[in-house]
Amino acid sequence: MAAFVEFKDVKKTYKTGETEINALNGADFEINKGEFCVIVGASGAGKTTILNILGGMDTLTSGSVILDGTDISKMSKKQLTAYRRYDIGFVFQFYNLVQNLTALENVELAAQICREPLDAAEVLKQVGLEERMKNFPAQLSGGEQQRVAIARALAKNPKLLLCDEPTGALDYNTGKAVLKLLQDTCRKTGMTVVVITHNSAISAMADRIIKVKNGKVSNMRLNDNIVDVADIEW
Amino acid sequence: MAILAIIALGVGFFAGVRDTTPAMVNMMNIFLRENNFYDYRIISTSGWNDDSVNEFSQQPYVQYAEGSISLDALYCVPRRSIDETVLKTHMLPENINGIRVVEGTLPAKADECAIEHNKGYKIGDKIRVTDTNETETLEILGNSEYTVTALVMSSCYINHEKGTTPLGNGTLDSFVYLHKDAFDTEYYTEIYVRFDNDYTMYSEEYDEFMENRSDEWETISEDIALKHHNSLMDDAKAEIADAKAELEDKRAEGQGELDKSAKDIADGKKQLADTKAELDSAKADLDMLKAFMGDSSPQYTEGMAQYEQGLAEYEKAVADLEKGEKEYNDGLAEFNEKIAEGEKEIADAEKKINDTKSPSVYLLDRNTNIGYALFENDSEIVEQVAKVFPIFFILVAALVCMTTMSRMVEEQRTQIGILKAIGYSEASIMGKFMFYSCSAAIIGCVLGFFVGTRLFPEIIWMTYKLMYIPLEMPYYFDRELATAALAVSLLCSAGTTWISCRVELKETAASLMRPKAPKAGKRVLPEYIPFLWNRLKFLHKVSIRNIFRYKGRFFMMVIGIGGCMALLLTGFGIKDSIAGFADTQFNEIQTADGAVSFETDKADSIRDALSEKTNGFVMMRHGSWDLLYDNRVKSIELDAVENYDDISQFMVFRNMEKNPIAPPELNEALVSHSISERYGVEIGEEITLRDADMRELHLKVTGVFENHAYNLIYISGDTYENQLGKSLTPNKAFINFNDSENINSQSSAINSIDGVISVEKFADTRDRMADMMSSLDYIVLLVIVCAAALAFIVIYNLTNINITERIREIATIKVLGFFRRETSAYVLRENIALTFFGILAGVAIGIPLHSFVMSQIKVDIVDFSTVIFPQSFLYSAVLTLLFNFIVNLFMEVKLEKINMAESLKSVD
Repeated sequence: MAAFVEFKDVKKTYKTGETEINALNGADFEINKGEFCVIVGASGAGKTTILNILGGMDTLTSGSVILDGTDISKMSKKQLTAYRRYDIGFVFQFYNLVQNLTALENVELAAQICREPLDAAEVLKQVGLEERMKNFPAQLSGGEQQRVAIARALAKNPKLLLCDEPTGALDYNTGKAVLKLLQDTCRKTGMTVVVITHNSAISAMADRIIKVKNGKVSNMRLNDNIVDVADIEW
Repeated sequence: MAILAIIALGVGFFAGVRDTTPAMVNMMNIFLRENNFYDYRIISTSGWNDDSVNEFSQQPYVQYAEGSISLDALYCVPRRSIDETVLKTHMLPENINGIRVVEGTLPAKADECAIEHNKGYKIGDKIRVTDTNETETLEILGNSEYTVTALVMSSCYINHEKGTTPLGNGTLDSFVYLHKDAFDTEYYTEIYVRFDNDYTMYSEEYDEFMENRSDEWETISEDIALKHHNSLMDDAKAEIADAKAELEDKRAEGQGELDKSAKDIADGKKQLADTKAELDSAKADLDMLKAFMGDSSPQYTEGMAQYEQGLAEYEKAVADLEKGEKEYNDGLAEFNEKIAEGEKEIADAEKKINDTKSPSVYLLDRNTNIGYALFENDSEIVEQVAKVFPIFFILVAALVCMTTMSRMVEEQRTQIGILKAIGYSEASIMGKFMFYSCSAAIIGCVLGFFVGTRLFPEIIWMTYKLMYIPLEMPYYFDRELATAALAVSLLCSAGTTWISCRVELKETAASLMRPKAPKAGKRVLPEYIPFLWNRLKFLHKVSIRNIFRYKGRFFMMVIGIGGCMALLLTGFGIKDSIAGFADTQFNEIQTADGAVSFETDKADSIRDALSEKTNGFVMMRHGSWDLLYDNRVKSIELDAVENYDDISQFMVFRNMEKNPIAPPELNEALVSHSISERYGVEIGEEITLRDADMRELHLKVTGVFENHAYNLIYISGDTYENQLGKSLTPNKAFINFNDSENINSQSSAINSIDGVISVEKFADTRDRMADMMSSLDYIVLLVIVCAAALAFIVIYNLTNINITERIREIATIKVLGFFRRETSAYVLRENIALTFFGILAGVAIGIPLHSFVMSQIKVDIVDFSTVIFPQSFLYSAVLTLLFNFIVNLFMEVKLEKINMAESLKSVD
C-alpha cells in the first residue's frame, strides 16, 4: 500500500538578501492513512517548514510531496488554495480564531466553504463545547479556544489534520485534554493527524514518530509502545 | 511615512489652493506695474489737448498723465472668413498702459501698427480700414492700410473679452495700436493718469487711495475739461470774429470796386453824351456845308468821312458801355449772394457755438477696464473656493495622522512598556514619538508647501490663461500662509500623537508588555432583528458585524468617503448652477430673441420700422432706479412695459417653483428673485423706488420671478403714467426676429433704423456667458482631482490599517482555503458597504456645502440658481465608487501578498 503522505527529498531554501538558508535539506518521510503522527525537533530544525509545505501554505524548492496520490509540489497557487480548502484542517498554537465571530460561527466559517462539511453544532458538541457555542473567543479560556479551533478544522472534514504546537500556549492539563481530543478524533474517525511539537514527551502517544534535525529527518519510527495521553508527563 | 505623505498632501492642497489667488494677483500686479497701468481714464465729450494733459500732470500724486486716442473701427484683416472685424484702435502709448512686445518692433511710421499677439496675425500682415466706417472715423484715420510690425500684449486688455462696440456684430474682436502720426486729429479722446503709488491691485489700500481721490478728481477733470472746452469755444468765436471782419473787408472792397465800376459807367455815359452832342453838331455843320456847297465839294466829303468815322466810334463805345453795365449788374448780384452766404455761415457757426453744451466728463477708474474687472472676479472665485475645500484636506490629514499615530503607538506598545519598565519618564517616551511625528510633519509640511504653492497656482493659472494674456507666473511666497500651514500640520501630528500616547502611557509597564487583548467580539444591533438577520448570508453577517464593531473606523471611512462624495457633488453642482443659468435665462425665462434700445424721441418711427422688420415686439421704458431699503439704496433696473399683455411672448414670469405669476395690476410690481433674496423684499410688501431726479414710485410687490441676470423690477405702463403723471416714452423693446436664420443680417437691419442705439442678440449674450463660464470646467476638474485624492488617501489608509490590524484573521481565512476572490470580498465587502454609507453621508454634506459655495461666489448682477442636477448625483456616486474600486484593486494585491505562515506563527 502506498503511503498516504509522502515526502521525497524535499528541499526548501529561503533567500534573504545574500544569504541562503536551507530550512529543509532533503527531508524524506511517509505517513499512512489514519495514523496519529508526531513530528518532533528542536526550534529551527525545520518542522514548521514541513508543516507549511504539507499544508499548502508554502512552496518547496525541490523534491516532491504527495498526498493521497496527488502531487502537491506541482500545484499552482489556486490549486493550493483549493487543496487547503478541501483536504487540510489546521490547528495552530495561537488558535487564530476570528475574534468577531462566536464559537459556532468560527466553525461555520470554515464549514460553509467545503464540499461535505460536518454540522458545525455537532462538531462543537463532539469537542465538548455544546454550552459555549454562542460565546465569542474572548469569552472562552485558552483550552476552549483551542477546541473551537480543532472543531473548525474537523468541520471541514479534511483528509489530513495538521496541528502546529497545539499545546504550546496551554497549561499542562488543558494541553493534555487537547491532545486527548486529537487522539480520540484520530481513533474514532480514522482521520490522519499530524502534530508538530518540540516536546518529545508527546511523541509517546503517537503511532508514528518523525524526528527532524537540521532540515532532515533524522529518525522515523513506528511507536510500538503507545502510551495513553493521561499517562504522559512532561 | 504615512504622516509625512498625508501632511505633505494636506498642506500641498491647503497652501497651494490658498496661494493661487495671491499668486495670480501678484503676477498681474507685477505686469500692470511694469507697464504703468492707468489709475484713471478720463474722457471728455469735447476731447483734450496738450494743455489739458499738462494740467493733469501737475495735479498732486500724479506720476504721469498722457493723452491718447481710441476709437472703434471696422477693418478688413487677412485670413478671416468675415469681411469686417471691429478693432479698438489706440494711439501708441508712451508712459502709461505700456504694451509688451512679443515679436517684432513697435510702429515707427504712420502706416505701421502693432496688433494683439496670439490672434492669428503675423508680422507683415496688412490690415485695411474699410469704407463702411463712419465718416468721422475715416477722417481721423488718415491711412487706410497698415502693416503689422509688432505682436503685443497690452495691459489694457488682460482678458480675451474686449468689451462691446456699437459697430459690426457688437463684439470687439481685438485691438490695434497705431503710430501717433496715423491720427489726423488735433485732440485726444482720453487722458490716462497714473498716480505715484505702489499699492497692490484690488487691495483695500488701493481702493481707499482711489476713494480719497475720486471726489476731488471729478472736479479737477471737469474743470480742465471745461477749460479746454472754453478754449475751443474761444478759438471758434475768434474764428467767427475773424470771419466777420474778413467778410466786412470783402464787402467793403467789393462795394468799392462796384462803386468805381458804377462811376466809370456813369462817366462813360456822360462822355458818350458829349461825343454824341459833338457828333450831332458836326452833322449839323456838315448839313449846312452840304446845303451851301453841294455834296460833291471836297470839304464836305472829307467832313462826312470824319463824321462817319466818329459815329462808328461812338456806336462802338455805346456797345462797350452797355456790356460794362451788364457786367456791373452781374457783379452786384454775385456780391450780394456771396455776402449773404458768408453771413449765413457765420450765423450757423455762432448758432453751433451757442448750441454746444458744456462737455460731459467721465472719470473712469480701473474697475471699468473689462480685463481688470474680470480678473478680479475670477481670482475671487478661486479665493472663495479656496476657503472651503482645503479645510477638508486639513480635517482628513488630522484624521489620518490620528489613525496612523495611534496605530504606531499601539505597534510599539511593548517597546513603550519596556522603556517604562527600564525607568524612562513618560515625557521622554512621549518625546520620542513627538520627535518622530513632528519631524515627519515638518518635512511633510515643507515638502507639501513648496510643491503645492508651485504646482497649484501654476495649474489653475494655466486653465485661466486660456482667457487671459499668457503671462509667466512668478513664484509667490506668502509668509503668513507658510506659518499657518506649519502650525496646522504640527498641531495635527503633535496633537494626535499626544492623544494616542496619553492613552497608552496611562497603563502600567507590566500590562503594556503583555500584548493587547484583541478587541472582543460582540453582537451588534442588526442581530436583534431576526427577520433581517436570518435572511443574510453568513459572510454578509460577518461583514456587518465588523462594520459595527470598529466604530471609529466606520465613522472615519464614512466621513472620508462622504467628504469625497460631497466634494464631487459640489464640483458638479457648481457647474450645474452656473453653466445652467445662461440656458435657463435665455431659453426659458427671457424668451425674446433680442432687445433694441433707441432714442426716446424716435419711438414712433421706430415702432413702424420694427413692425415691419420683426416678428413682434413690445416696448417699454427702461431705467435705473434706486431701491430704498433699510435706509440704504440699491440700484436696480426698472422696466415699465407699454402693453403689458404683449410681454408674455418675450418674457416668462414664473416663481421659483416654476409656477406662472399673474401680471402686475395698477401700482403693483414684480421683482426678480435676486432682489427679493438680497434686499429682503417680500410679496405683499410696499417698496419705494427713486430715480436720479428724485421722482418716486411706490409699488406693492405681488410676485417674485425667477431671473438670473440683473436685478429687475417690472411694472405696467399704466402704473408708470399714473404715478409719475406723464405719459410713458419707451426707450427699449424686446423683439422676436422674423426667422431664426440670418439673425445677424436682421439685427444689422434693425441697427440701421434711424434712432436705434443698439441691438442685443440674446443668443449671442447667452453664448458669451456660457463661454465665460466654461472656465469653470477646469475648477470642476480640479475639484474632482482633489476629491479623488481625498478618497484615495482615506480609503487607502484606513483599509491599510484595517488589513494590518486584522492580518491574522485574514491569514486564517486564507489558510482555511478561501480563494483569492473570496478573501478580498471578505475584507473589502466592508469597504463597499462603507462606501455606500459614505455616499449617503456625502449627499447630506454635499447639498449644504454646495449652497454655501454658491453663496460665496455670488456675483452682483447674476443670480445663480442653486441646483444640482440628478445626473450629477449619479456621476458623483459613480466616481466615488470608482475611486473605491481602484483602491480595492491595490488592496487585493496587498492581500495576496500576505504570508500566511509568517503571520500565524506567533503573536505580534
